[in-house]
Amino acid sequence: MIEKKVGIINRCLPHGSAQGRESLDLTLAMSAFNESLSLFFIGDGVYQLVDGHSPEETLQKHYQPLFKMLEMYDVENIYVCEASLQQRSLNSKMLLIDVTLLNTTALQQQLALQDQLLSF
Amino acid sequence: MDQQKVKFSIVVSGAPYGSQSASTAYQFCASALLAGHEISGVFFYQEGVLNASQLVSPATDEINLPDFWAALAVQYNFPLEVCVSASLRRGIVDPQEAQQLSLEQFNLKTPFVLSGLGQLAELSAACDRLVQF
Repeated sequence: MIEKKVGIINRCLPHGSAQGRESLDLTLAMSAFNESLSLFFIGDGVYQLVDGHSPEETLQKHYQPLFKMLEMYDVENIYVCEASLQQRSLNSKMLLIDVTLLNTTALQQQLALQDQLLSF
Repeated sequence: MDQQKVKFSIVVSGAPYGSQSASTAYQFCASALLAGHEISGVFFYQEGVLNASQLVSPATDEINLPDFWAALAVQYNFPLEVCVSASLRRGIVDPQEAQQLSLEQFNLKTPFVLSGLGQLAELSAACDRLVQF
């Protein structure tokens, strides 16, 4: 059986809710069972990949360092919406990990390639 | 008919009360089953794990969603898998975890079961369609 391509979409800020953290937990756990995962960071979700947070000050766990585990877990398809970065005056050098920037059309194409999508 | 039968796996991310996610997920499952489709299983994640609490006690003229899930799962024989790490963080505990963590109580409702995210990977692989609520 061909492995399903599963896309995990991240659209939320890293703080204010556990969406980002629970999405990353799910990604790391699923990567043990599925080698065809792709991550998408869109809209405010791009802030999750920006370093320099201090969530301990709001009693939250600092989960950003866990993004570095993705490479170790062989999750290599990490797509970031280029327009979302630009709208927020961010660039790929400010991100914690190596990513692939996609314009809107390429993003739509990549999303359409997925068999299943989970959104956070 | 058999050719059109779809195997669904469901992800529930919303609490039984306070958002519509879980109610809609329940209605989707009930309708799909009535239409002759199959539910491979339901995976409860994030706030969705609160659907597995046996302590949910709404007013008598309101529906008790955990009861509805339990009845549907028993009637159609599909599993209600609840993410263990999301559960423990939100105070959903089964007898084994209660014992291990030296807690005085447990509150996981039957037939919900605590399981890992690997179970979600299995449900994802086993279905024709994965639907998240």
